[in-house]
Amino acid sequence: MRKSAKKERISDVVGKEVTRRSFLKGVGTLGLGLAATSSMNRLAFAQPKGPIKLSFWTWQNPQQHAWIQKRVKLFMEKNKGIQIDWQYFTFTDLGKKISVGYATGTAPEGFATGTWLMPTWLSRNMIAPLDIKLLGYSSLQSFVNDYPKAFIDGAVKNDKVYGYPVYVYGFLNYLNTKQFKEAKLDPEKDQPKTWEELGEIARKLAIKKGNKFERQGFKFAMHAPMWTMVQFNPILLQCGGSWFDKSGKCTVNSNAGVRAMTIRASIIRKYQAEDPADSIATSPLPMMDFLKERVSMFSTHCIPIPAVKSQNEKMAAEGYYRPVQMPGVDPNKRYPTAYGFNFVVNINASKEKQEALHDLYRFIMSDLVDCWKDTGPFTPARKSGWADDPQVKSYPHIDEIIKARDNGALLPETPVVNELSDIMHQTVQKVTLENADIKKALDEAAVQVDKATEEFKNQK
Amino acid sequence: MLRIGRAQISVSRWQLGYESRIQLWGILFILPTILFFMIFKYGPMLWAIYLSFTGYDIVTEPKFIGLNNYINIFKDPIFLQALNNTLIYIMGSTIAITVLGLGLALIINTGIKASRFFMSSMFLTNIMPILAVCLVWRFLFHPYGLVNQFLSPLGLGRIDWLTNSYLALPAIIIVTAWRFAPYFMVVFLAGLLAVPKEIYEAADIDGVTPISRFLRITLPMISPIVFFVVVVSALLCARIFLMPFIITGGGPGGATRVLSMLIYETGFSYLKMGRAAAISVILFLIMMVFTILQIRFFSKTEEY
Repeated sequence: MRKSAKKERISDVVGKEVTRRSFLKGVGTLGLGLAATSSMNRLAFAQPKGPIKLSFWTWQNPQQHAWIQKRVKLFMEKNKGIQIDWQYFTFTDLGKKISVGYATGTAPEGFATGTWLMPTWLSRNMIAPLDIKLLGYSSLQSFVNDYPKAFIDGAVKNDKVYGYPVYVYGFLNYLNTKQFKEAKLDPEKDQPKTWEELGEIARKLAIKKGNKFERQGFKFAMHAPMWTMVQFNPILLQCGGSWFDKSGKCTVNSNAGVRAMTIRASIIRKYQAEDPADSIATSPLPMMDFLKERVSMFSTHCIPIPAVKSQNEKMAAEGYYRPVQMPGVDPNKRYPTAYGFNFVVNINASKEKQEALHDLYRFIMSDLVDCWKDTGPFTPARKSGWADDPQVKSYPHIDEIIKARDNGALLPETPVVNELSDIMHQTVQKVTLENADIKKALDEAAVQVDKATEEFKNQK
Repeated sequence: MLRIGRAQISVSRWQLGYESRIQLWGILFILPTILFFMIFKYGPMLWAIYLSFTGYDIVTEPKFIGLNNYINIFKDPIFLQALNNTLIYIMGSTIAITVLGLGLALIINTGIKASRFFMSSMFLTNIMPILAVCLVWRFLFHPYGLVNQFLSPLGLGRIDWLTNSYLALPAIIIVTAWRFAPYFMVVFLAGLLAVPKEIYEAADIDGVTPISRFLRITLPMISPIVFFVVVVSALLCARIFLMPFIITGGGPGGATRVLSMLIYETGFSYLKMGRAAAISVILFLIMMVFTILQIRFFSKTEEY
C-alpha cells in the first residue's frame, strides 16, 4: 500500500507513470546532463572565442617579468585558442614604447603601466574601461574595497575602472643593523621617526676621512627622475604642501615646498652625512650603495633577498639589514610614496580581444600565493588572497612592508608627470650638487611645470 | 618580333632609340634605391617638417598651428640650453677628435715599433659596444675613480666630473674623443701615406725643421683630409645621443642635455611630437651648414 501511494504521488507530479527503472534512468540522464553542462561551462571560460592573437607588454624586473611570463604561458596552455605575443621592456622604456606604438598603430592590445602614467593615458583617451564582472568582482564597491585606497584612486575615474592593479609597494627606510650597532645605536629604538632624527642618526653613522666619506649615513637616490619624485613627494605632502592648486597651477615653490626641499637637502647641507656625487648606483640596482655597505640607511622599495645575495652574500646570510617606515615631519606622519603597476586595455582593441584580455588578467592574478612565492617581497596590489598565507606571514619584516604599501601616498595625478619628474630631478640636482638657492630653484621649476601644463592644454 | 595586327603598330610607335633604352635601363636599375630613399629617408624628413608646424600628441590627429612650435622653442630656456650644449659639444669634440686623431696618425707614421699593433688596439675603442663604453666611463669618472686617481699626483684633488655642471660636458667630450679619434686617425694616416716622400727628402736636404716640415708640407698636403675629418666628426657629434643619455642622463641640471636628447624626451616622453619635429628641423639645419661647407670646400679642392 505504501509503495503504491508513493508511486501515485510521483505520478501526480510527473504526469505519467514512473517506475523504479525509469526513475533511475532519469537520475542518470540528469547526472550526465549536469556533468556535461559543467564541463561546457569550464570550456566556455577556458576557450571563450575562436583563434585570437593578443599582444601584451609588461615591465622588466628579473622576478616579476619571469612570473608574468610563467602565468601567460600557463594561460595559453589552458586556452589553446588564444595566442599571446608577450614582450617586456625596462621600467623607463615601457611608457615610451607604448606611446610610439600608439603613434604607429602597433601598440599592444594590453599592457602593464606604472600607476604614475595613468593620467597620461586617461587624459588622451588611450585606454578602455574594464568590466569588473569579467575580472571576478560583483560590484564596483567590492573591487574598490579589495585594494589600498590611495592606489585605487588612480585606477578608478567617474565610477569606471581603467586599471587592474597588479603590484603596489611603498618605499621603506632600509637600515644596516650591523653599522647601527657599530655606532652604538639600536636599530629598533633608534630608528629615525622624523627627518630631523634621520639627519642626526645619519651624522652618527657617517664616517669621514678628510673630505672623503668612508661611509655615508643616509642616501637619497639620484639616478632617475621618477625616484626623485617618489622620494620628494611624501616630504612635500607631510610639510602641508601640494604639487598643484585647484586651478592646476604648480605650487611646489610654496613655503611648504621650500621647507620640503630644505629637508631634502639637509642630509648634505646641515648634517653633512651624504655625498650626492659619490654613488655607484645604477638604474637596474639603485640600492647598490646600501648593498655594498657604503651607506648605512637608504630609502627604497622592498629589496628581494636574491638581490641582496647577488651583491652581498654576507649581508644576506647574516641578515643584518631591516626595513622600517620612512620618517615623517613628525612621528605621526610617517608615510612614503606608494606606487605600482596596473594592467590596462588599449581602447583600440576589438571587443573580443578586450574580453580575452580580461580573462588573461584575471588568470594572471588568480594565484597570489604563487605570485608571492616567485616575486616576494614585492607586494601584490590586492588585499585578499595572499597576505594570510603562512609563507607570507613568515617573511622577514612583512608587517613593515605591508604597512608602507597601505599607508603610501600616490604621486601627483597629472598628464604632465614626465615633465614634472624631469624638472624636479634637475631642481634637486641644482640644489644638492650645485648648492643652488632653494626658493629660486623651486620658482624656476614651478614656471617650467606651468608652461608644460599650458602647452598640454593648448595641444588638446 | 611581333607582327600581329594592332600590336605591331603599338610596338613600333613606342620603339626607343639605343641611347634612350640604355637610359631607361639605367633608371630602372636605380629605381629601387630611389624608391628606398623616397620612402625611408625623404618621406619621413618631409613628414617631420610638416609635423613641425602642427600640434601633435602622437595619439590624436596633428593640428596645424603655423610657426607656433618654432616661436615657442626659441623662448624656451631648456631648448636654448640644449642648443648651447650641442654647439659647445660639436666644437669641443671636433677639435679634440681632429687634434688627437692627427697626433696619433703622426706618431704611427713615424714608423715606431709595433705600430700596427698600436693602431689595431687603438681602433678597438671604436668597435666596442657603446653601452659598455658609457658604463665603464661612468665609473672611471667617479669622484674616486681611475681618472682622478691618475690625476692625483698633479695635486688636482677630487674632481666631480659628472656631477659638476661645468665639467660634465667636457667629460662627455673626452669620452667622444677617446672613442672616435682612433677611427679618424686611420683616415689621417691614409692621407699622410699619400704625401710623396720626395717632398720630405727635398725638405731634409734643405735642413727644414720638423715643425716647419709639418706646418709647411704635411698640413697643406693633407688639408682636404683635415677638412673632411672636421666636417664628418662635426656631423657625427651633432647627432650624438647615447653618450650623454647613458653617462649623465642629461644632467646635472640639464648641463649635458643635447638637442637629440631633447627631441627624444619631447617626442616620446612628453608626447609633444610637433615640437620635437621643430627641434629636429633646427638640428637638421645645423647639420646642413656643415654639409654645405663640405660640398663647397671639396668642389674647390686643389690637387697637389
